Amino acid sequence: MAESGTSRRPEHLSAVPDPDPGPADLLRAVAGGDEKAFARLYDLVAPRVYGLIRRVLRDPAQAEEVAQEVLVEVWRTAARFDPARGSATAWICTIAHRRAVDRVRSEQAAADRLSYVGRAQVEVPYDAVADEVSGRLERQQVRRCLHDLTELQRQAVTLAYYQGHTYPQVAELLGAPLPTVKTRMRDGLIRLRDCLGSGVTA
Amino acid sequence: MTASVHSLIGPYALDAVDDLERAAFDRHLSECGACRAEVDELREAAARLADGAWSVPPPALRENVLAAIGSVRQIAPASPAPVRAPRRLRLVTAAAAVVVAAAGAATAVYAIQDHRVRVEQSRTEAVRALLAAPDLVLKEGTVAGGGRVTVATSKLRDAGVIMLAADAAPTGGRVFELWTIRSSGPVSVGTLAPGQTVAVQVVNGMEQASGVGVSVEPPGGSKTPTTPLAASVPL
Repeated sequence: MAESGTSRRPEHLSAVPDPDPGPADLLRAVAGGDEKAFARLYDLVAPRVYGLIRRVLRDPAQAEEVAQEVLVEVWRTAARFDPARGSATAWICTIAHRRAVDRVRSEQAAADRLSYVGRAQVEVPYDAVADEVSGRLERQQVRRCLHDLTELQRQAVTLAYYQGHTYPQVAELLGAPLPTVKTRMRDGLIRLRDCLGSGVTA
Repeated sequence: MTASVHSLIGPYALDAVDDLERAAFDRHLSECGACRAEVDELREAAARLADGAWSVPPPALRENVLAAIGSVRQIAPASPAPVRAPRRLRLVTAAAAVVVAAAGAATAVYAIQDHRVRVEQSRTEAVRALLAAPDLVLKEGTVAGGGRVTVATSKLRDAGVIMLAADAAPTGGRVFELWTIRSSGPVSVGTLAPGQTVAVQVVNGMEQASGVGVSVEPPGGSKTPTTPLAASVPL
């Protein structure tokens, strides 16, 4: 784990939530007001939080603003994290995703968003080199597992998650009936879960 | 309604539901431990998708965040017997919520609790104020095809709130439209979006209304309700 108080870039190995003080331990310390623990937690989760928000919002300046809100929210509400209900990383990503989606829905007209169809993969990293090195491991497994899904499952899940579309919007984009889309989202996530394994426990 | 609400589990885990659906699902979760466990698992899987978006944040973000927390007060740690956030949310729900929950329409109240969207806030206040009226009267009707419509009215406030929770959206791209029935004829008070099954609508001047109706119409709604009505609640 990085002693990364002054590090400008999170150490890449620390992004894999596993060894010693993992996100869950750090989050517990954060709930007790430990600012140092928060700084370490930041280094572990910030690339995911920022990356996710940026993927959904697309605008780097807005993404930075929302990421800051989310990370401060993590600090503020750390006491609410309940390890019995899931990993610390998932708890944080859930907050981040929800905020990003709220922002998308409050600021963009539906028509505006529809123009993004098929652009799920369009993404210019903030720092392509650092990203390539540091994020590769993290991304590989998810990509592999996404390819394991059926086409409809994958589209339903990614259009919702990465683009912030509601399921009726996804249904419209895919030209699929609403019940089908709802089902594909669920069984897509189940398949994703099985492929990823019960891995993340931190 | 339970079975149908549960079908939202995938969209819910992906944040692909609107605020009202989310509220309805939150209520469903509060009554179903197994569903909660399933949502937790799906959310865990969904959160892994964030791995796929991994991106190094601008360095300034770290400094800004670490500076910002210095002035942000944390919420108190959970008490020894940990109370989960949704439950706590329930406890702060006003007495009016209990009344409505008893009528099986807590959906509306949850919607109020859950709304973060700015534009919804004034409407939320209106619903909350109305549900707190001392002379609140609740009437219920069933929706053809499954589901329920609950109408809460207050003479003192001369207003009412219509809460629709249908099991399924109309087929063929058609939509639900809400009406008040008056001596002059039916008056439209709102049209749902295609696929939308849950709605909360505040209606002023309910005193003159003799009933509330729900019809199935082409997208955008109609000038007069198509009969037979999907639901009708005499007042």
